[in-house]
Amino acid sequence: MTELRAGRTGEPLGIARDEARSQRPRYLDVLIGLAAFGVLAVLPLFFGSKALLDFVIRCSAFGLFATSLNLLVGYTGMISFGHGMFFGLGAYGFGLIMQRTGVPVPVAFVATLVITTIIATVIGAICVRLKEIYFAFVTLAFQMLIHSTILSWASLTGGDQGLRGGIPRPVFLGIDLSNHVHLYVTSCALLVIGLLLMRQIAQSPFGYTLRMIRDNANRASFIGIDVWRARLTIFVLAALFASTGGIVMALFVSGAYPEFAYWTISGEGIFINMLGGVTTFLGPMVGTVLLLILNDTVTRLTEYYGIVLGIVILFFAIGLRKGLMDFVVEWYGQRRDGAGERG
Amino acid sequence: MQRTRKPGISRRATLALMGTGAVTFATPWVARAQAKTIKVGMPTILSGRVAQLGTSSRNAVMLEVEKVNAAGGLAGRQIEMVIRDSKGAPQEAARVARELVNTDGCELLIDAEASSGAFAVHEVARDLGVFCIHTNSETSALTADPKQHIPNAFRTARQGVHDSIVGGSYAAAIAKTKGLKKWATCAPDYAYGRDTTGEFTLYLKRFAPDVEIISESWPKLFQPDYTEVVTKILQAKPQALYTCLWGGDLTSYIDQANIYAMFSQMEVFAVNMADYTALTVVKNLPKGIHSGNRYIKTYPATAENAAWGDAYKAKYNEYPTNWSWENATAVMLIAEASKKANSADGKKIAEAMRGLTIKSPFGADGTVTMRAEDQTLIGYAIGWGTTIPQEPYVPDVKPGDWKTILELEAEWKKSKGYA
Amino acid sequence: MDLDALTGCLASPACLVTQTTSGFIIGMLLFLVAVGLTLIFGVLKVVNFSHGAFYMFGAYFAMTAYQLSGSFALAVFCGAAGTALLGLIFERVFMSRVYGADVLMQLLVCYAFVLIFDDVVRMVWGPEFRSMGMPAAFQVAPLFIAGGVVPPYYLLLIGVALVAAVILGLGLARTRLGKVIRAAAHNPGMVSALGINTGLIYGGVFALGGMLAGLGGALAAPVRSLTPGMGFSVLIESFIVTVIGGMGSILGALIGALLIGMIRSFGSLGFPLFTEGLMYLFMVIVLVIRPTGLFGKEVV
Repeated sequence: MTELRAGRTGEPLGIARDEARSQRPRYLDVLIGLAAFGVLAVLPLFFGSKALLDFVIRCSAFGLFATSLNLLVGYTGMISFGHGMFFGLGAYGFGLIMQRTGVPVPVAFVATLVITTIIATVIGAICVRLKEIYFAFVTLAFQMLIHSTILSWASLTGGDQGLRGGIPRPVFLGIDLSNHVHLYVTSCALLVIGLLLMRQIAQSPFGYTLRMIRDNANRASFIGIDVWRARLTIFVLAALFASTGGIVMALFVSGAYPEFAYWTISGEGIFINMLGGVTTFLGPMVGTVLLLILNDTVTRLTEYYGIVLGIVILFFAIGLRKGLMDFVVEWYGQRRDGAGERG
Repeated sequence: MQRTRKPGISRRATLALMGTGAVTFATPWVARAQAKTIKVGMPTILSGRVAQLGTSSRNAVMLEVEKVNAAGGLAGRQIEMVIRDSKGAPQEAARVARELVNTDGCELLIDAEASSGAFAVHEVARDLGVFCIHTNSETSALTADPKQHIPNAFRTARQGVHDSIVGGSYAAAIAKTKGLKKWATCAPDYAYGRDTTGEFTLYLKRFAPDVEIISESWPKLFQPDYTEVVTKILQAKPQALYTCLWGGDLTSYIDQANIYAMFSQMEVFAVNMADYTALTVVKNLPKGIHSGNRYIKTYPATAENAAWGDAYKAKYNEYPTNWSWENATAVMLIAEASKKANSADGKKIAEAMRGLTIKSPFGADGTVTMRAEDQTLIGYAIGWGTTIPQEPYVPDVKPGDWKTILELEAEWKKSKGYA
Repeated sequence: MDLDALTGCLASPACLVTQTTSGFIIGMLLFLVAVGLTLIFGVLKVVNFSHGAFYMFGAYFAMTAYQLSGSFALAVFCGAAGTALLGLIFERVFMSRVYGADVLMQLLVCYAFVLIFDDVVRMVWGPEFRSMGMPAAFQVAPLFIAGGVVPPYYLLLIGVALVAAVILGLGLARTRLGKVIRAAAHNPGMVSALGINTGLIYGGVFALGGMLAGLGGALAAPVRSLTPGMGFSVLIESFIVTVIGGMGSILGALIGALLIGMIRSFGSLGFPLFTEGLMYLFMVIVLVIRPTGLFGKEVV
């Protein structure tokens, strides 16, 4: 296990240096967020393409999911292989509440998050005391357990065929989620708000506690940090954002399917993180855009998608040995340092 | 100095990257004007364990589309198929279906998805209002449930409940003559397996009331090892076994049950046996397995059907599958409906298709009908017989009676609250 | 749930024997694949996510060799030898480049090859289901042992799996090579300093692990259908086995495999609709009580 540890505290996750430098006033984040939302919101006025809007909606769903996973993987050093269960939980929770009770959308949204909090707390309380690869295993096992439960409990979940018949979305506050543009703007808003909140978590004192736990959990507990509680808190918080991603996905496909709670979704999340890089906050978001573009273009061109994707992964894993954003940041840092020495 | 500059750079790099991405990939998003050709989109599964579903569906569609195009296309417009892999994931199926319509400009959809993928595409059809014909999902609820009903979606796949009515009455007749009272069932644990088994036993008991189910096994879909299932059934010592395993699962099961000499100890009713995907693959096919027809070129025993099977074999060097005929029928129906409406417009085709009866090599009486009330296919060839290990594999098929099927189906719909 | 069937079976000797034997059969087949996974983890500290692909290649190699030669022995040999070679190349060319890197990078490389290998099989052998067929020598009536039914072919499988277990167990414990391998697992730097080529050991262990998976695939080919992606469900089960038994422990893999076999065998009687869930539940319980698995060494 020593090697494993060396690897994990080593280069790819050694983020503290970069992060320490990236503190900036909070209002700047908010301004950037607002600007991004503004740009996204006016897009439909210039591009008539529905496919572009679809693309951004999917980016919101997977972006929320992947960025929340990075709170665990990149910031706290907890490699979860089961994060996708909360994505599925969000989709199923929201879909079931809307189909069965007919409450307004915001109520269902909040109720889904409450359910996610409860389940994530229970699962988290069991999982977070385990370390390293064993944490990964036990989260994966929980994911598979939830997936089998969804398949077996057909009277509630519809089994392997998922929630059928569409998810009703009554109009609330003038927002009609069955309207494509309304759904698009809502997804963008959820994405931007979600990213801003996660950014706040990452930059808060609590966020720095997490980094300390990642770098050396023993040292953190010596100075009086309750490691178990901190890890559980971030586990639940991350689950909430993943669940929100699941809700966006459920709205997009107008249903929920057991594949949403399958381990492949967790695998995709990890892959997105590695693709984009875990050392910058926006790395997972870049990874999401990259993976979706890759997926969409390659499936258009060939049915041997696996070979192409496999080679791209090998390029990142063996060629770059890090995510794209990590690579860019490092490359730019080297260039600038070089220039600084000359000047 | 460092503190303020570095993050700015990463942000700028991100924006630049996103900008480049947007420019590069916006090109396919520019909507295209209506062309002379008509594009037909087809989301299906071309990779993973059930890739054969997609390839044999695609083969059949291409075979028929060539004929339609040679005869002048749809109302004078040549068909161009756009076929995409969903990898069997429902969110991908939904994404691909939307993209086919919104980006590629497909005006009609042939949905060759299985299971949950078909329901996901169905929601897309509901949302976009595009003409859509489901070709592979046999789940009865897809068209039987009025909540699912939308005017623009049809189905050419066979239906679980039809198979079960015919299978149940066929099996009951044999149960009576041979005195088979104790039955076991073995079905993959997913909606198709559960529904089909439930319906089969329902009709078996209805026609042969003294039948008793003494053992049920529910292996997981795509389970590699059936040892515990085989021994469990042997333990129960039933006189007959019903199974709706299919494809590779069925062949694995037969190979594994064979070395336990299971087939000499009970009558076996395997609804999905009489399909070339299973018949040609099993090396030691036991004699005398009862099976429903999926696709075999000798049933219906007509020159048209044999010719169709041979033409397919000549072109692709393999026999058609159950999925093949279902997809071929979709193209035939679209072509006929378009001719009748004298238009390639989805709405007009849908209108013309309701209640349309066409000549078909796969019809029980030489024709198949798209029933108007629930927009699903009826009148296709359906029957049961016993297997032999070489061609023609199922020499003597007893045809099911569509009059009985329709009566019992109506009754079944009522009992489900569908009608 | 059908607890009556379960208690009924536990009360009947014939049923007890038959279900125990089938649990044993399932377990020993699983062990052959799982032991390679645990071996590779034990020495190289790599969770070989592409292990299922080696199982798949073993089956396809065996089928092709059997079709060409008609000899079952040659088919099994080709399955095992072919995957051993594949494992060696895979380790030397690709895996060896990511040993220092993050554990996620290693997983990604394996994942990339799962995707690539599945597509390669689809290109070479086609997307359809294939079946190898049972060799004529084993197309005989099953035996009755202590009231339980056992097909002769499964006796061969159990025999091979047991021989593999014994050779591995004794080989690692008693031979010089075994000692070197264990030393390399414990402290590769020191082994390397003693002038032993650790790269060769790593490659050899990976080849051995791949060979065991390929052997499992080749032996399973007569009774299981062959299709691209067939390795996946086997990988997941092997994974559960190694986690329960303890990553890196050969005895653990054996016990874990047998436990899973029994859960499947008796679970299908008592909980026919939740057999799969039962395995994951068991895995969760073991991990919570003993994170390193039943026979894994405590991690410092």
